Amino acid sequence: MTVSAIEFSRLGPPKLVLYAMRCRTCKTLHPWWERYTCGVCGSRDLVEEKVEGTGELVNYTVVYYPPRDFLGQEPYVVGHIELDEGVLVPAPVVGIAPDDVEVGSRVRSTLRRMKLGHEGDIYYSQKFVLDDDPPKRRRSPAQAAKKTPAKAAATRRSSPRPRRGSAR
Amino acid sequence: MRVGVLGIGKTPHKIQHDKSLRDLIVDAGRLAMDDAGVEARAVQAYYLGNAGCTGFCFENSVALMGADHLGLVPSPAVRVEAACGTGAWALHLGCVAILSGLYDTVLVMGAEKMNDLATVEGTSIIAQAADSKEEYFSGLTFPSGVALTMRKYMQVYGRSEEDLAHVSVKNHHYGARNPYAHLRFECTVDEVMRSAKVADPLKLYEVCPMTDAASAMVLCREEILRDQPERPQVYVTATSMGSGTWYAASDTLDDAFALLAKPAEKAYAMAGIGPTDVDVAEIYNSFAIQEPLGIESLGFAERGEGWRGALDGSTWIDGEVGVNLSGGLLCKGHPLGATGTSQAVDLVEQLRGTAPEGIQRKDAEIGMSACRGGPGAVAAIHVYQRLEGEA
Repeated sequence: MTVSAIEFSRLGPPKLVLYAMRCRTCKTLHPWWERYTCGVCGSRDLVEEKVEGTGELVNYTVVYYPPRDFLGQEPYVVGHIELDEGVLVPAPVVGIAPDDVEVGSRVRSTLRRMKLGHEGDIYYSQKFVLDDDPPKRRRSPAQAAKKTPAKAAATRRSSPRPRRGSAR
Repeated sequence: MRVGVLGIGKTPHKIQHDKSLRDLIVDAGRLAMDDAGVEARAVQAYYLGNAGCTGFCFENSVALMGADHLGLVPSPAVRVEAACGTGAWALHLGCVAILSGLYDTVLVMGAEKMNDLATVEGTSIIAQAADSKEEYFSGLTFPSGVALTMRKYMQVYGRSEEDLAHVSVKNHHYGARNPYAHLRFECTVDEVMRSAKVADPLKLYEVCPMTDAASAMVLCREEILRDQPERPQVYVTATSMGSGTWYAASDTLDDAFALLAKPAEKAYAMAGIGPTDVDVAEIYNSFAIQEPLGIESLGFAERGEGWRGALDGSTWIDGEVGVNLSGGLLCKGHPLGATGTSQAVDLVEQLRGTAPEGIQRKDAEIGMSACRGGPGAVAAIHVYQRLEGEA
């Protein structure tokens, strides 16, 4: 992928926080990329919604021939993670040898260096690691949202922030 | 509907360091026009399917380039792009143009020049057919996206990697007999299993190569071909397109099935035939798993059973339906924009009875092509029929 400095600035805060796209009409939760129209009900009213970042690894592959920006990381594991909120997210799974990966494992997201752009620009984003925390210690997404509004506002420009491409 | 196939032409599928994109375009275009007995100035419109010239060749308006070099000027020319469904879309637009009554004779073509670049560059360009800025940000590639589908298929239907390896064995059996194929060797289940891992569980012999090729057809109004009874009477009798999700993550097995099944249902109705009538089919298989998925979508097998024909013979040359007797994309390679037209040209050869020895299905009368593109985004079904002696 090639990204110009102008595009880089438009991308805004990169994907430092894991979120999903919630349709405010039919409440469907979509994966975390730009979504202009809900594929389920056709609504244009979608907002970013922070998710807890914990879930189950439901499928995975091991990439031996990476795209340019991932050269040097191969072989690496890319998984489909079913988040506890019920949305599927594709992401690298790290900290585990490809041969040891098991479908059904509990995983949680963690901020990592994702890849190197072709001009040496570094991209950070969410990767997943095995979740060793006992589930009972974790707060529910609702609790997390209540307790950390300031932090959420600091990392997101606003919540919900205007969609890119909207008139402003 | 009936659209006459007046002429066909194709280049070999292989790495062609001595050929540029324009060389391939000119080769295929001249072959098709010569086969049709049509002068360039009689071609009223030109639809060129090309998926990646801006990345692979650093050229863009290549239909205009092709029109000039083929002598089609001043007829209109346009480049068509729809990921791996590009060539099939050019064919669709050519059919629609004829059916509209606006044109009598058009040239449809697919052409792709992929091997001026290394695999890592090619993989990155191909990834642009998906959301390369967001979804593929996570290190996904097309092979790894399909590998996830393959693992899901194995999980849901309880199939092993060995079961699915039979698909590659069948394709390579025929690819070895197709002089136009890129990979011309036979292989065993064991060899498929031992081939290098590309994206687990996908292995090298289950992945198509990057290929340079072009293929073309001259299409005409039904009456024009009907008035030339000395020519092979092959017609396109259905053209049916569809779309699905642009995201691999939301491409469930049900979605992958529906992507081709919906337009296939329309195509059967359009041609007035059913799955059991089809003699030969070319089914998109840039990755081996896509062949059983396509077989199931077209109604040739129950869901979860599409791989079995490669084992029990029902999708071999003398089975119920001969699937990918050309060797499929696994052996022909996948020249993105030329794949849809290559499927069409190979099926027309089958119906004309001019396919190479060893891959010609006896008395083939009805052919069907299924092409797909993007993670699960493009679907294209065409039906071809030999209709000799009909009024």
